[in-house]
Amino acid sequence: MGPAAPWWARKLAGRALCERSQLTRFRDQGHGVDPFGLHPDGVLTGLAITRWLYEKYFRVTSHGADNIPAEGPVVIASNHSGTLPLDGLMLWTDLVRNGPEGRIPRVVVDHFVPGIPIISIIFTRGGAIGGSRGNFHALLEAGEMILVFPEGVPGIGKLFRDRYRLAHWREGHVELAIRHGAPVVPVAVIGAEEQMPQLARIERVRLFGAPYLPITASPLPLPVHYHIWYGEPIPVQDRWAPEDAANPAAVAEATLWVRQAVEDLIAKGLKQRNGVFR
Amino acid sequence: MSGVLVTGATQPLGRRIVELLCEIGRPVLATGREDPGDIAQSLPPGVRYTRTDLTRGREVRGLLQGPCMEMGLDAVIHLAFHRAAGLEGHRVHRLNVDATRLLLRLAEEHRTLRRFVHRSTAEVYLVRGSRPALVREDQPLNLDPRATQWVRDRVEADITVCARTGLSPLHINVLRCAEILAPAMGSQLYDYFGSRVCLRPLGFDPVLNLLSLEDAARAFVSSLDCPEQGVLNIAGADTLPLSWAIRAWERHDIAVPGPLVGPLYRARAIVRRTDFRYRQNRWRFHFNAVLDGTRAADVMGFEPVHPIRWPTGAIAMGAQHL
Repeated sequence: MGPAAPWWARKLAGRALCERSQLTRFRDQGHGVDPFGLHPDGVLTGLAITRWLYEKYFRVTSHGADNIPAEGPVVIASNHSGTLPLDGLMLWTDLVRNGPEGRIPRVVVDHFVPGIPIISIIFTRGGAIGGSRGNFHALLEAGEMILVFPEGVPGIGKLFRDRYRLAHWREGHVELAIRHGAPVVPVAVIGAEEQMPQLARIERVRLFGAPYLPITASPLPLPVHYHIWYGEPIPVQDRWAPEDAANPAAVAEATLWVRQAVEDLIAKGLKQRNGVFR
Repeated sequence: MSGVLVTGATQPLGRRIVELLCEIGRPVLATGREDPGDIAQSLPPGVRYTRTDLTRGREVRGLLQGPCMEMGLDAVIHLAFHRAAGLEGHRVHRLNVDATRLLLRLAEEHRTLRRFVHRSTAEVYLVRGSRPALVREDQPLNLDPRATQWVRDRVEADITVCARTGLSPLHINVLRCAEILAPAMGSQLYDYFGSRVCLRPLGFDPVLNLLSLEDAARAFVSSLDCPEQGVLNIAGADTLPLSWAIRAWERHDIAVPGPLVGPLYRARAIVRRTDFRYRQNRWRFHFNAVLDGTRAADVMGFEPVHPIRWPTGAIAMGAQHL
């Protein structure tokens, strides 16, 4: 392998994160990238970009990252909020920094994200994948860790008055978890809901494929204190056989289980935090 | 060992397949549009060659009922296609699609033929940001009526052959090959790399999968013993981002705003009479599309082992191009 990430990325990330990124486990296709475009130096670039936000601005506190299985397929399901998907970035960073060594979360992003110039490259090299079933299926089959936000765009589009109330919780991730015998780890991100209070949105204005233009109380994200809570893995694979993935009732029941676990974690996180900024 | 009819045997892939078949001792009947005198040197000794225009039904019947029957061939590897993207029109369609349909129909009625292998390409797949980056055989095909004839013809020929799978007395395989980066193969990327400066849309650097001529030829030879019918993706040994490929080819990689790339390459095609059509490649210059060759590995044991011979050591390039 030739020289590593750009000098600025190595400098911003620091030695510890450089070393961490080089432990990245991925299916090298001969040129240093996996079929989806993941590259260890892309991970390092991502860590460098998010380091200041993670450590200084949002002061992320991680709880229970040792609940993440070190091997095998796993689905991480989290709540989603904040107008800008910074919770996704912080959660990705937290999983790389505090999760099992070398495991890179494959963040499932919405369909329009691969169409955004530059962002698409940064996300792809860091392990993000477009939100299609085929991608999800291929990565679980390969035993990877998938990070999904079942609320999707409606999650980050929540108005401030709806904060910490989960939007419609999609079922696809649970269905695929059952099909591939993967446990689901529930996650609650506390703090993101207050980072950019959304007061209203203009539905007709679409930039880069985003479905609306938000009207927020703050033009920039506020320096809220993020808490990321990881729950115990939900062993959907023990309760349902892979063929149950075709049974809507089983999938709905498993989805409810996951959703309830995330809600419980949110309640726990809200109860234990000392304030939005502290 | 039974013999094989290879159409399009005068193109590089056909020639290499013929050589490999000769090496394993299978009788080969090669066909092409060139006069026998012109290609006598390029085919291995002992190979029988017949000049055949596959768009003419009488010639195809003559081929199958004549030399093909005499040699008792049992398989057809169909490679004959117009390769240049710039070629359009009814005559092109006749070879690309009508000849495929005719050859398949006549092969079904043939007394000795038992197997039909059709060469398709990865370009038949629909590539979009909402589609999986790892392309399996069941991914939707590009049925966009605005696609270039090059693509439309290949999709139509592919579907024509697929539609007979399971219904035909023949054992049918459609090999959807990743782009074969080699000269005279109709490779759009090969033509694209022909310029000293390669333009790509700003802010996008999709991952490509490329196949070497040697691996492609091996895949076709392996398919003659494939126990299962149907479509098989033939992935190559090289999976890398477009910008790395440009640099590995010792070209200057320049990202320009997307709307400018098309007109610039259109002008290049007019002025320099080059074959690369950005319109045809637009989506794969934006979104990852890597063939998943798992089925070919499982079913016929094909794994790509011959990487592209890049002018530079691309393997050692790493992330300096991120």
